[in-house]
Amino acid sequence: MARKQTRVSRGMLFTWFMLAGLIFLLAPQNLTNKFQFAFARIFHWPLSIGRNISLAARIQQPFTEPANNRETQYQNYIANLEAQLKQERQKVEQLSGLRNRGPLEGAKLMLADVYTASIDRLHSELTINRGEQDGLVKGQFVLADNSIIATVSDVSSRTARLKLFTDPTSKIAVQIGKLNVERIMQGSGNDSAKIQLLQIEHKVKIGDVIYASNKKTGFLDAPMIIGKVAQCKRDDQNPSLWDITVKPVCDIERLTSVTVIVINPR
Amino acid sequence: MRWFRFAVLILLAAILQASLFADVNIKPDLLLILLVFFAVYCNISEAIITSFMVGFAADLIGLAMGPQIVSFGLFGTALAYLHRVIAIKKMPHQALAIFVTALLAGALAYFLASLKGQPITPNIYVVLLGISLYSGIVGPFLFLPSAWWMRVKTNRLRRSFR
Repeated sequence: MARKQTRVSRGMLFTWFMLAGLIFLLAPQNLTNKFQFAFARIFHWPLSIGRNISLAARIQQPFTEPANNRETQYQNYIANLEAQLKQERQKVEQLSGLRNRGPLEGAKLMLADVYTASIDRLHSELTINRGEQDGLVKGQFVLADNSIIATVSDVSSRTARLKLFTDPTSKIAVQIGKLNVERIMQGSGNDSAKIQLLQIEHKVKIGDVIYASNKKTGFLDAPMIIGKVAQCKRDDQNPSLWDITVKPVCDIERLTSVTVIVINPR
Repeated sequence: MRWFRFAVLILLAAILQASLFADVNIKPDLLLILLVFFAVYCNISEAIITSFMVGFAADLIGLAMGPQIVSFGLFGTALAYLHRVIAIKKMPHQALAIFVTALLAGALAYFLASLKGQPITPNIYVVLLGISLYSGIVGPFLFLPSAWWMRVKTNRLRRSFR
């Protein structure tokens, strides 16, 4: 018996597919993200191989100092700072009679592997293998080499997307060096971010440390380093303001793992 | 139409686009190049299906689901119909088709993404122009290996009059 063939007109075919596309477009992002996260999870092995090849093809800049010597100096400096901080904290506890909890004491540091990295002028994002099941929520800060590099922007049950602070749509409240001022730092792509609306009366110089602010956010106990001033010049449009360019203090492109700060874990 | 080979080709292009080219500012859009390839070398019904499938793959590695399904599907179908009137056979014509499709599809995709709440970055137009140019230059050279994989003859004009 001949099989009855159902022919679909081109117009109907186009209409069905367009409807499906519109459904995806109008559906909530937390539902449609599952497809993207599933793709990253299923194909994380070839994606990571491609990324490793891409990183290996980059030209490496030679170090000007022996790496071991500089690392030792940094470790000693950090150890001194920790000792000073401990001493100051003990003084505060004695004077106030209250126990002063140290930064990140109540937090859980969740180590995560990077599935994919998309870093260009339009967006700077990472996808990691941790999600809601691991206690991640939107807005949490992410560390690499002991510096803040990103915030959690989207979460599914087992995967999460991180928005780097250099992403053009990223805005993070920061404190500048030893100044007691807070400003918004906005990503500008190309592995950098900008701080604007700072009056030139404030003294800022190249190399000043920029800290992610812990005020008005429940995701940090204390300010943490996020970058350093790479360029500081007068704003072209308003010479009474600074135009500050901030660069990360770690090599974000070569990251294979990051740490998510989970404050008050369940 | 060899659908399994099509699926493998699209997956490979998506993985390369998301991994090898992820850290490059101005890069060719491999999926868009394949969109134009299938719009030119398939009949119209197959071109419609492949356009939307390529758009789905592009959204999987993009910021949000939906914008590129709609934009790729729309312009891939339009290109397939245009090919019935104006033959897109020579490499300069293919390069121009890729460039224009990349500009239009990219602009529509970013507009739809902004409707979905994705913020638009300030230098979007420069990057879109760069990607379109790069894809237009590189794209025609990728047609031959794609045609070999899909077992499509490129030395004669294929038009569907049905």
